[in-house]
Amino acid sequence: MGDTMLEIRNLSAGYATAKGFVRAVDDVSFSLGRGEFLGVAGESGCGKSTLAYAIMRLLRDNARIESGSALFKGRDLAAMTAAEVNAHRWTDMAMVFQSAMNALNPVLSVGEQLTDAVHAHRSVSRAEAEALAAEMLALVDIHADRLKSYPHQLSGGMRQRVMIAMALILKPELLIMDEPTTALDVVVQRSIIEKIEELRRRLGFSVIFITHDLSLLVEISDSLGIMYAGRMVEYGPAAELFNDPRHPYTEGLMNSFPSLTGPLRRMDGIEGRTPDLLSPPPGCRFAPRCRYARPTCSAGDPPRLEPLGGGRLSACPYPRRGEAYGCAPAAPAAPEGGSL
Amino acid sequence: MSAGLIPATNAAPERAPALELRSVVKHFPLRSLAAYGKAVHAMDDVSLTLEAGGSLALVGESGSGKTTTASVIARLYERDSGELIVAGLPARPFRGRAESLAYKKRVQLIFQDPFGSLNPTHTIRSILERPFLIHGLADGKADLEARLSDALEQVGLSPASEYLRRFPHELSGGQRQRVNIARTFAVEPSIVLADEPTSMLDVSIRMGVMNMMLDLKERKGVSYLYITHDLAGARYMCGSIAVMYAGMIMEMGPTDEVIRDAVHPYVRLLKSASPSPEAGLVRTPLDAGGEIPSLIDPPPGCRFHPRCPYAEPRCRESVPGLADLGGGRRVRCVLALR
Repeated sequence: MGDTMLEIRNLSAGYATAKGFVRAVDDVSFSLGRGEFLGVAGESGCGKSTLAYAIMRLLRDNARIESGSALFKGRDLAAMTAAEVNAHRWTDMAMVFQSAMNALNPVLSVGEQLTDAVHAHRSVSRAEAEALAAEMLALVDIHADRLKSYPHQLSGGMRQRVMIAMALILKPELLIMDEPTTALDVVVQRSIIEKIEELRRRLGFSVIFITHDLSLLVEISDSLGIMYAGRMVEYGPAAELFNDPRHPYTEGLMNSFPSLTGPLRRMDGIEGRTPDLLSPPPGCRFAPRCRYARPTCSAGDPPRLEPLGGGRLSACPYPRRGEAYGCAPAAPAAPEGGSL
Repeated sequence: MSAGLIPATNAAPERAPALELRSVVKHFPLRSLAAYGKAVHAMDDVSLTLEAGGSLALVGESGSGKTTTASVIARLYERDSGELIVAGLPARPFRGRAESLAYKKRVQLIFQDPFGSLNPTHTIRSILERPFLIHGLADGKADLEARLSDALEQVGLSPASEYLRRFPHELSGGQRQRVNIARTFAVEPSIVLADEPTSMLDVSIRMGVMNMMLDLKERKGVSYLYITHDLAGARYMCGSIAVMYAGMIMEMGPTDEVIRDAVHPYVRLLKSASPSPEAGLVRTPLDAGGEIPSLIDPPPGCRFHPRCPYAEPRCRESVPGLADLGGGRRVRCVLALR
């Protein structure tokens, strides 16, 4: 994957609310190589979208980056002024939002929206911008006729393709996608993912792909980061994480997607519910739901990601002691007589 | 009470299926002037059988007609034509509210949205009391109390008193869906129609709700029609499957066989598009593009032909019938006839 494109160091960000500060991203660190595809998985409220918005410096008014840095090719995005960030945003790093219906302006044609993005960052003639817009639409398999269409005239899948074309129109090196296919049907989702993969091979950009659908991420990512209650709890190569999770939360998530073609076995998911980030539990935030938790897990600071070798990291202090857990791919912790 | 069903003239047939649809059609006329005379073809020639005590997954993408099918079975609206047969008894128009109530006691619906389906201004007690009161199922106050507790405890919400006094917003999504399921089972239905009951829940708690539904089915002996867009979830929950596309059932049969060895090109497409990491991390690209067609002007012939990589001229000309492949498998595709 070559050199590092993005390095996130101890990033914390959150929202000021009437009830207090909600630290939605808490001390998150990871790095992303050039051309790498990183999947970030977690449930609603785990901070994965806040992480994306913090990197893009698109946090809402009541939100802020508390501490830490986000180094994009060595320059700290978190420390830049708004004008400096503007110079990077969309030209070097772009984002595809979850709801293409809301992200596109309903009263502007597709062509106007695509050329707007060009004019905002480049001084090119109208004809050049239009040619570029048509070229980008062709890249996502949409005919240039559609430049004159309005968002409501397009299907959900086409709108999301337009969003991808718009994100890539200035040839950014980093593409952040926040649940880009969640609202789409499975066949459309698959065709969009294949398109992203094809474009990534052709254009060489890096991707951070955020979703709650771990079964999908495992197939498409080089690396996976698993977030829980604002913390990154496990990180590593996707296939290894799937075959041999080293954090009980990852294991629980893997145990939440029934198999399509493999042997059918009872799966239990995870008991309990995600904690309230206004007053997170002490110690490991997953401890109250963890089937392997011991008393020491619920005390002190949340455990940090520690390297396990082979590019893998886990925030569980007992990632492979064997006493509590450390499952082999052939026998994922048998749920028989489990917690349900 | 006849429950809006034609009473059997002889003894009721032995081991009749819990539910049968025969060539059911449901179109929704469009009211705008520009679309005068047109209709949304939400269900066309839908036939399916849900065995007594069985579970049938109705799988399809959005706009495939699966929710309309559930609504027609629940008789939230009536079918245009075709037969609806419950426990061997054909449905006929309701004569009065008592019949409609009796039908709804037998056939219950679990809705997708655990947030929208519980009245936010009512306590769980008042939400859960209603089915017992409406159907006259409780014998006095003490009995009602006992039934409320039972209803909550069998969906894993205990102690019941803790939950009865709360409002829906004080519960998590998973707990709310459990209240919904408790309400469904309160009236002791024989058929439960579950419309994507876990799709709006967080992934880590979905399995808990699915397992609870499987346990309830065993204990209560109900039959499930389980609606989902997720093939893997359908396989986990149901012994049989029917795959819908654009208002028609394209393939049905035992779940494992249909998933392992799909005949219809659409079902194969759905399978290859579904995440399946355990099958290996290298996959073949999809061989069909496009999206579900408009149901206002559905394509002539097979509704999948515009996207089908195997389409032949005859696919455009007439709608293929459901071919019987034996062993309970049926396929609506000319390929199956070869």
